[in-house]
Amino acid sequence: MDEVLHISNLAKAFGATQALQGVSFEIAPGEARALLGENGAGKSTCVKILNGLVRPDSGTIRLSGRDYRPAGLSDAQKAGVSTAFQELSLLPDLSIAINLAMPDLPTNGLNLVRFDEVRRRAAATLASYQIFDIDPASLVSSLTLSDKQRLEIIRALSRKPTLLVLDEPTAALTDVAWLYDQIRALKAEGRAVLFITHRLKEARDLCECATVLRNGEVAGTVDLAGTSDSELFRLMIGRSMGTAFPDRPDKTAPAARDKPEELVLSVEGLKSGAFGPASFSLRRGEIVGVAALEGQGQRILFNALAGIARITAGQVRIGGKPVKLRSPAVAKQLGISFVPEERKEEGLFFGLLTRANVSISNIGRVGRFGLVGRKTEIKQISGVSEAVDLASRYHDLPVDALSGGNQQKALIARTLFANARCLLMFDPTRGVDVGTKQAIYSVIQRAASDGMSILLYSTELRELTALSDRCIVIYGNRIVDECPAESLKEEELLERMHDAHAGRASKELEGGREQRVNSL
Amino acid sequence: MVGSSALTLYSRSPSSVSITLYIVMFVVYALAQGHFVTTPYGLSVLLNNSISLAVGAASLTFVVITGGFDLSLAGTVALTNTIISVAGFNGVGGAIEALLVVCVVGAIVGAVNGILVAYGRLQSIAVTLGTMIMTSGIALFMLNAPGGSVPDSIAYGLTGLLGPVPVAVIILVVFTAAAAVLLNYTRFGIGLFAIGQDRAAARASGVNVEWTEFRAYLTAGIVAGLSGYLVSAETGTGDPRFDASFLLLAFAAVAIGGTSFRGGRGTVVGSVVGAGLLELIQKTLFAVGVASFFTGMFEGALMILAVLVGSLGSLMAARRSAVS
Amino acid sequence: MSRILAHRAVLGVFALTVALFVLSGFIAPALLSGPSLRTVALLSSFVIIASLGQGIVILSGGLDLSIGSVITLGGVLLGAWVPQSNVGLWWAVPVILAIGTAFGAFNGFGVTILRIPAFVMTLATGIIVQSAVLEYTNGAPQATAAPQLIADLTDSKWWGLPIIIYLVLAFIVIGSLVQDMSSYGRLVHAIGANPKAGVVAGLRSNWVTIGCYAISGFCASLCGIVLLGFVGAPILSMGDPYTIESIAAVVVGGSSILGGVGTFAGTVGGALFLGVLSNDMTAIGMKAAWRTLIQGAIIVLALIVFRSLQAERNRGRAGGPMAGAKERLLGARKPAE
Repeated sequence: MDEVLHISNLAKAFGATQALQGVSFEIAPGEARALLGENGAGKSTCVKILNGLVRPDSGTIRLSGRDYRPAGLSDAQKAGVSTAFQELSLLPDLSIAINLAMPDLPTNGLNLVRFDEVRRRAAATLASYQIFDIDPASLVSSLTLSDKQRLEIIRALSRKPTLLVLDEPTAALTDVAWLYDQIRALKAEGRAVLFITHRLKEARDLCECATVLRNGEVAGTVDLAGTSDSELFRLMIGRSMGTAFPDRPDKTAPAARDKPEELVLSVEGLKSGAFGPASFSLRRGEIVGVAALEGQGQRILFNALAGIARITAGQVRIGGKPVKLRSPAVAKQLGISFVPEERKEEGLFFGLLTRANVSISNIGRVGRFGLVGRKTEIKQISGVSEAVDLASRYHDLPVDALSGGNQQKALIARTLFANARCLLMFDPTRGVDVGTKQAIYSVIQRAASDGMSILLYSTELRELTALSDRCIVIYGNRIVDECPAESLKEEELLERMHDAHAGRASKELEGGREQRVNSL
Repeated sequence: MVGSSALTLYSRSPSSVSITLYIVMFVVYALAQGHFVTTPYGLSVLLNNSISLAVGAASLTFVVITGGFDLSLAGTVALTNTIISVAGFNGVGGAIEALLVVCVVGAIVGAVNGILVAYGRLQSIAVTLGTMIMTSGIALFMLNAPGGSVPDSIAYGLTGLLGPVPVAVIILVVFTAAAAVLLNYTRFGIGLFAIGQDRAAARASGVNVEWTEFRAYLTAGIVAGLSGYLVSAETGTGDPRFDASFLLLAFAAVAIGGTSFRGGRGTVVGSVVGAGLLELIQKTLFAVGVASFFTGMFEGALMILAVLVGSLGSLMAARRSAVS
Repeated sequence: MSRILAHRAVLGVFALTVALFVLSGFIAPALLSGPSLRTVALLSSFVIIASLGQGIVILSGGLDLSIGSVITLGGVLLGAWVPQSNVGLWWAVPVILAIGTAFGAFNGFGVTILRIPAFVMTLATGIIVQSAVLEYTNGAPQATAAPQLIADLTDSKWWGLPIIIYLVLAFIVIGSLVQDMSSYGRLVHAIGANPKAGVVAGLRSNWVTIGCYAISGFCASLCGIVLLGFVGAPILSMGDPYTIESIAAVVVGGSSILGGVGTFAGTVGGALFLGVLSNDMTAIGMKAAWRTLIQGAIIVLALIVFRSLQAERNRGRAGGPMAGAKERLLGARKPAE
């Protein structure tokens, strides 16, 4: 058994969601393996398991032939697994030198840290990776995002790991060639690399084989040279069992016909943080899908429209009138309702009953004289509860007792209860079972045919293609493409999402180091 | 260029605001008090009542840097002060015994806090509120009203001079140096900053988050005990009630000293200077003739201002060192 | 908490109180008597009034450490403005209540707009108010008696009970309506349970929070007014014990000190429980120190109990009420993927 990594039948469930199931693959010494897959396919769960941050429910892992069950990060590092995380694990207000040295800080006889030695080592480390333009004494927070990424990678490399795990390492990197050199050097030494990326071109440059995850399972391990991009996309998307989409209600239904051209929401030159400028619009009864890879600015867009993120430039019009989305309360008043990404952190009120969670968006309706009446409340929310297929027996239960799917239904019911004109939905079917997904699809379609305008972001392309009237593609904090109804097919959407990058990537290589990845 | 790097250093350091203000305030105070202030005796009088607050503020600093709060300072001070006032430690030997005892008591309180916050994952404000009340309650058992008497060896120990230098100054300097070293030059100290900046990243960087956080509260407790010892020296009597004013001044000192309540950045020197600054302002007000009742109101307003200024100060420092 | 659970908690507290009361009869037979019950009810009245405000503030995720000072303020001002007779009572009471509310709103402003941690802000306000009182009375409040009407509340009786008890009963009804049954109360529950979600859902968290502290200021000054009648003459330390006592009552009553969970009915039960407890302790001759110690221990214990209950519920990632104080005070960070 001379493999570096041997994973066999790995399985992990988080609550009702099966994140990984029957995952098996091996990596040989000197090999760089690409780990591909859509968002939510299970890639980050794999990374967490390899780092000891999460314990698998079942399955075995062997590292260099020995049983590998890390209890935590330092275990993993000692065993020889080192990771450059997607969410950088650097400490922003400490110096680069300290970050590189962590956790092994050299001390003198009095157990005091020898900063001169720390700095010296850091300088040496940086030099050994041909980095001469970073001062090890400066704080991490003073680095550009690209340099931070480099630092994260260097830190992982400097531990001389047996297995180097790179989680989306090139997202912010300007000098990708540098990374390629490091990886080739590592491979030449007989170590292994697990390279998680959505950039197929880079995967092909560095890796011989790719393991494709889909819905928590291995869709296939293929030889990259002999597999085309579209074949890879097909592996990533596949056809999972039984999620047929409910028939779309007639698009010419009276409600939708009623002022069909009315612009409910129009955005011109919108800028917020690093995102923008962007322009698009939503019509009455229209579902506009948002297709984007992880972290391309879609979150900022939604937060801006929901009144959470500050809009720094551009104009937003609702029903033709210019508005200022100063806060979520203002946005709510203007008729915008938001289904946030994290239902637990940003959405639901744990400790409150389900019916309270649903009715909170329109609390005035559920009682008289400022009081809340149970019977009135239940009667009032029955409409939206039915719409989302939330059983009435859940009303009097604390919302944290509900399954993830039912929680999501409750959250969506709440946004419907607000009687909004425009619904912003950020990945509403995340971490939700098949049955709930169906219910959510129905709600979305019915709401649209009732005249609601919906901006829908989903990491499942299937959903976008089946539900949207048209799709905007976001990449690098800009809207880079719009996919009309006719060309709404998954593979094509995925290609457009990747093309956006590919187009930019080739410009990068031409432009050299000065060309930064678009306004990150 | 030297000038620009000095300026950068100034704007980067979180304690620069408090040090500047202190210098300004000192000048004002000197003008109000006259020559007196610059003599060793004058300095000693100035510092005599400030040291306990400075040490108390330092105690809080360790916890605040991790992103937590420690209200039990006031309780530990009450308890240790009370113990010294009733236990009858006598002479120099007694003074040393007392010192050890307060450290142990402080350590116990700190350990309880640490276990509940670091390992129990309970919220620090609530936990330390509870322990503050409990320690005060224990103090009330020993002394049900302010009273008792602190042994002379401790009470007069502070006010003297060691050669030309006031003892108070020596204690302050030695203590601050030790605390600063602990915070800035040990793995433990670096771990505190790491936890405050990004708990997950700290863990991913190999810091034993729970153990380090525990030790933060433990350290704060021991230093709080020292603060109580100094209170005994300063006041000469015992008070079993927790002093809300003291607690608030300590937090204000921390804030004005540049340590952010958000955690992750801060200095012990800043907190110490901040404490001195607040005391100085009070003394100046008194010297100028502001009625003592008003001082209370100024105190409260001052603390609110201090927290605001402090959060501004550390925000400035943070913004300057970050490049977006 | 679900309806059943909430009822259970409240019932539990009341059951415990009754049990304790009965048990105290074994310690000293005099304790299990009408007069004893009356004493408990009377003494608990003041805590109950103060605890409505504290309870609502805690429910919103904050803490009010200025209650004691505002109570003292209420008592002292009333004693100064309406000495002995009832002349001027009609304007003095509303003005005092307004002042208390204003200080509360000031607290709320500091906590929400200035983003100052609640314990710092309210502690500061408490000290400001305390020294304002000191200044106003020049260190020694006039040794006048309380206005007749106010004194009558605690001295005179209707059908065997001091008048104030009836008023407190009405207060309890109103308080329950506000905290447990109103839409405003719902909003407070929500922002206390998850401040971040409160912002995202557009619940006007700032205004709701300011309102909570304003209510607390109102209740504290009201407490001071009626307390004067009981104490007889304004004392500078009259409000002091109520800060901690109110926190303890709220916590014993089943509210989570972290916010988001809690009923006023429970708080009332908590106040009564503590009232019986301290009545017993006084009767036995236990030192006052025990009271402080137990109150502190109660707060810590309540924390532990709540945390372990919650840990059972949230297997896996943290969320809900543990969207903790720091986030609440300083603005939440983006959740990591």
